[in-house]
Amino acid sequence: MFRTKVAVLMTAAALLTGCGASDKPTAAAPATVTTGGSLKGDFGPPQGEPVHAVLTSPPEVPPATGRHAPAKVIVELEVVEVDKQIAEGVTYTFWTFGGTVPGSFIRVRQGDTVEFHLKNHPGSKMPHNIDLHGVTGPGGGAASSFTAPGHQSKFTFKALNQGLYVYHCATAPVGMHVANGMYGLILIEPPEGMPAVDKEFYVMQGDFYTVGKYREKGHQAFDMQKAIDENATYVLFNGAESALTGPHALKATTGQHIRMYVGNGGPNLVSSFHLIGEIFDKVQYEGGTHFQENVQTTLIPAGGAATVEFHTEVPGNYVLVDHSIFRAFNKGAVAILEVSGEARADIYSGKQGDEVYLSDKTSNTAAVETAALASASGTLTKEQQVKAGEVLFKGTCSACHQDTGAGIPNVFPPLAKSDYLLADKKRAIGIALNGLSGPVTVNGSTFNSVMPPMSQLNDDEIANILTFALNSWGNDGGVVTAKEVTQVRSSTKRAEGAAH
Amino acid sequence: MNRRATLFNRAGLPVLLALMSLPLTATERSASLYQMHEKLLDQDGRAIDLDVYRGKKVLVTMFYGSCPATCPLIIDTLRAIEKKVDGPQRQDLRVLLVSLDSERDTPAALRQLADSRRIETTRWTLAHADANAVRRIAAALSIQYKKLPDGQFSHSTIISALDADGKIVVQSAELGHADPEVLKAISAK
Amino acid sequence: MIRACILMALTLLPFSAPGARAVGLEVPIAGGKFESVLPPSPKEKAADVPPFRLDVALVSNADFARFVRKHPDWRRDQVAGLFADEGYLRQWSSPTEPGSGIEKQPVTQVSWFAASAYCEARGARLPRWHEWELAAAASTRVPDARNDPEWRQQILDWYATSARGVLPAAGASPANYFGVRDLHGVVWEWVEDAGSMLVSDDSREQGDPNRNRFCGSGAIDLEQKENYAMLMRIAMLSSMKASYSSNSMGFRCASDAKAPR
Repeated sequence: MFRTKVAVLMTAAALLTGCGASDKPTAAAPATVTTGGSLKGDFGPPQGEPVHAVLTSPPEVPPATGRHAPAKVIVELEVVEVDKQIAEGVTYTFWTFGGTVPGSFIRVRQGDTVEFHLKNHPGSKMPHNIDLHGVTGPGGGAASSFTAPGHQSKFTFKALNQGLYVYHCATAPVGMHVANGMYGLILIEPPEGMPAVDKEFYVMQGDFYTVGKYREKGHQAFDMQKAIDENATYVLFNGAESALTGPHALKATTGQHIRMYVGNGGPNLVSSFHLIGEIFDKVQYEGGTHFQENVQTTLIPAGGAATVEFHTEVPGNYVLVDHSIFRAFNKGAVAILEVSGEARADIYSGKQGDEVYLSDKTSNTAAVETAALASASGTLTKEQQVKAGEVLFKGTCSACHQDTGAGIPNVFPPLAKSDYLLADKKRAIGIALNGLSGPVTVNGSTFNSVMPPMSQLNDDEIANILTFALNSWGNDGGVVTAKEVTQVRSSTKRAEGAAH
Repeated sequence: MNRRATLFNRAGLPVLLALMSLPLTATERSASLYQMHEKLLDQDGRAIDLDVYRGKKVLVTMFYGSCPATCPLIIDTLRAIEKKVDGPQRQDLRVLLVSLDSERDTPAALRQLADSRRIETTRWTLAHADANAVRRIAAALSIQYKKLPDGQFSHSTIISALDADGKIVVQSAELGHADPEVLKAISAK
Repeated sequence: MIRACILMALTLLPFSAPGARAVGLEVPIAGGKFESVLPPSPKEKAADVPPFRLDVALVSNADFARFVRKHPDWRRDQVAGLFADEGYLRQWSSPTEPGSGIEKQPVTQVSWFAASAYCEARGARLPRWHEWELAAAASTRVPDARNDPEWRQQILDWYATSARGVLPAAGASPANYFGVRDLHGVVWEWVEDAGSMLVSDDSREQGDPNRNRFCGSGAIDLEQKENYAMLMRIAMLSSMKASYSSNSMGFRCASDAKAPR
C-alpha cells in the first residue's frame, strides 16, 4: 500500500517535471524521475513503538531497517577520546564517535524521526558536538548537541532526504576535531530500502597530520600547521594503516554482489577512490540517488560519500586505493579485499608466457661503435663501414627506402641497382645532407616526393650509410669517406631546415 | 529551531511532571533555586530574597532597563504567557525579573520602568541585585551576559518556570508568544 | 613598566625553584591593554586589564579539602544539586578526604559555584577571562608569546593527549614570565565570567550573529582565529554550565591589585 503511494508520488513528480513551461510535448525531452527531495520526504508522524537504532563499528554495516512506515528511532552515540595505533609503532590520540575511526555507522529510513542522544565520556578532555549532513536544521544538529565531558545532549530531527551522509564533530577548531577522527556515516534508506546484495562494507577515508614524519615511531601529536597547509602525513582507510589489511582485510567470495558505503571524512583531501582489479558496476556518486555504471575511479569529496557496487568473479586480493597514488604507497591509503573461490581462467588467466622481446630498433650498436673507434684511430675498413652503415640504415633510411632497398613504386625511389645513386657519389652525399624534392627519374620511373635533410646524422654516419648502400642489393661497391661528406657539407648551400 | 528543548536538556534537569502531591526527594529539593540566598531590592526598595514567591508558580528571567529591543519583548512575552493562563491559576502565578544592570537599575529606576510599562507589581517584581549576586543568579538560570563598553549588555534570554519549591521545571528561549511548554508547566496542578 | 618588572622579580625570587609553591601565594601582574581572543565588543579589539594578583599555582586537592572541612555545605554528599552535579569531587576517596596520592594534584571535578565559593572564602575571587588570558599569553621568557608557532604547538600538544594521564602536582610546571605556573598543559580553568562566553554553540556561525538570541551586539565573534589553544579554552568553558564539573577542569584564585590579602 505504501509502495503504491510512493510509486504514485514518483510518477506524479515525473509527470509534473515533464510538463515544464510549454504545453506542447517535445518529443526529445525524456521525463526526469526525481525523488522530490525533502519536499516529499515527510511521510507523517512516527508510527509504532520507538526503535533503538543498531549501530555498528566499521567495517560492519547494520542490517536493513526493513521498515515500511516512518518510525521514531533512538540513536545513542558516545564520544570517547582514545589512544590507538595509527601505524606500526605509532600511536595517536583519536577523538571518536563510538570508540572507532570512522565512528559507528547509523542506519535509518527516510521519514524516520530520529531522537539523537550524544554522550561525551567523562574521561574526555574536550567538549564535542555533532553535525549530521542528513539533518535539515541549523548546523545539522551541531548547535543543539554541544556537550561538555561527562554530560549528554539530546535533539530530534526528521530524516527528510534519503542518501548516504557524513556526520562529524563541529566544535572549534572544527578542522582539528575532524582531523582527529571525528566522522562517520549515516545511511538514510530510500523508502523502498536498498536492494539486497550479498555483502555490505563500511569504509571511510581520512587524512591525518602529525608532528612527526610518516611512520616516525612513538606517540604523535596533531600538527595544526600541516593541516592548514594540507600537507597530510597519513591518508588512511578506517583510521589506521593496517585497519583493513592482513588479518583485518575485507573478505568475500567469488560470485558475490558487494556493496561498499564509502565516506571521506577529510578534513582536506578529496579521494580518487579505486579498487584495483575491479570495476564498479554501479556508483551512486556523492551518496545520492542516481547512479553511474562501469566506473573505474570515482571522486569522493571531503565531507562526502559514495555507494559503490560490484560483482566478484575472480579470486585474489583486490586493493582499495586513493588513486592520487602517492597517498596509497607513501601515506597508507591502502585496504585489501580478499576474494576467495574457484579460478576463472576464462575471465583472467594470470601470466601465460614470458618470451624475449626485441624491438625493431634494437640496434646492435656494437658495429657502430667499432666503426667510430676505428675511424678515430684511422683504421676504418670498408667492412666496418658497411656493418655500421647497415645498422644505421635500418634505423633511419629503411622506413622509406625499405630494408630491401627497393623503395615503394611511385612513392620512394629504390636504392638497389639505382642508376641515379650510382651515377654521382658527390650528388648522393649532397642528397643525404640536404634532402631532395622535385621530380627525379630513377631506373626509368619518375618520382616526385620530398626527402627531408638528414640533419641528425653526422659525417661518419652518412659515410657509413652510403658505403653500405653502395655495397648492397647488387650495387657494385664503392666507399664514401667521412672526409668526403665533410667537404660536401661545407661547400653546399644549406637547405632549409638542414643542420650545419 | 528547537532551542527551548535544547536549553532544557543542557540544563540536565528532568522534566518534573508537577505532581505536587508527591513528597520531594532530596535531589529534587536540592535543585531548588531558593537555595541561593541572594539579597535583592525590589522596585520599591524593599529587601527581598530570591524566594520572595516561594509556594507559587514563578516565571523568572533577567533583563536590564535601558535595553533597546529584546527586553521590552521579554515583558510582552511574559504578559502573553500570563494571558493564556486561566483565571484562578493566574492568581497563583508570579513573575520575577532580575536586572543585570546593578549600576543603573536602582530600585528607583525600576519603579519608573514598572510605571511606564504599566507593570502592576502585586504579582510582578522587578529586582536589583549587586554584581556578584547577578553573576550567581545568571549562572543558576543558564543566562549568559556580558557588559559592553557602552554600558549596554549582550545577553541570552531564557524564561524559567519554577514550581512551588523553586525548582526549574521548564526553560524557554522563545520570544513574542507563549511557549506551549511553559504554559504546560505552569498550568499543571 | 620597569618598576613592575622589578617588583615582580623580587616577589618571584622565593618561587623560582621548580616545584616551589605555597597555598594561596599570588603574584602581581601589571595588566594593561591586551588584544584578546574575546574582544570587549566588535569595535574594541583590545581589552583594558587593570592590575591584578593571580595565584602562582592551581588549587590542589589538599587545599580544597581544607575548605570543604571548614564549609560542610560544600561536601559532595551535602552540596545542593543547584551548585554541583553528580560528578562533583567523585575522584575523592571520601567526602572530606581526597585520598592518598592525589593531595598535591590540582583539584578537578569542581563546579563554577564551588570554585567561586572557595575563592570567596579566602577573600579572593576567580580570575576574569582577560586576566587569565593575559597571564597565559606568556612563555617562560616573554610576556606575549602568542605569535610564536612553537609555543602554540606546545600547547596544542596537550590537547593531543588523552585525559587519562596522571596529573602533575599543582605548581610543578616552570614559572612563566609573570611567575605563574600550570597555565598550560595541566587542566582547563574556571574563570569568574565563564557565563560571558557569548559564543554560538555552533562555532561555524561566526560572523552571523543571531540577534534575537543575544540582545545587544549579538554573539561575539572570536578574534585571532589562529590562536587555537585559546579558542579551545573558550569552547570548553562555553560548553560547561555553572554546576558542571569535569575531570580536566580545575581553578586558581585571583584578586584585585589593591585588595587586602
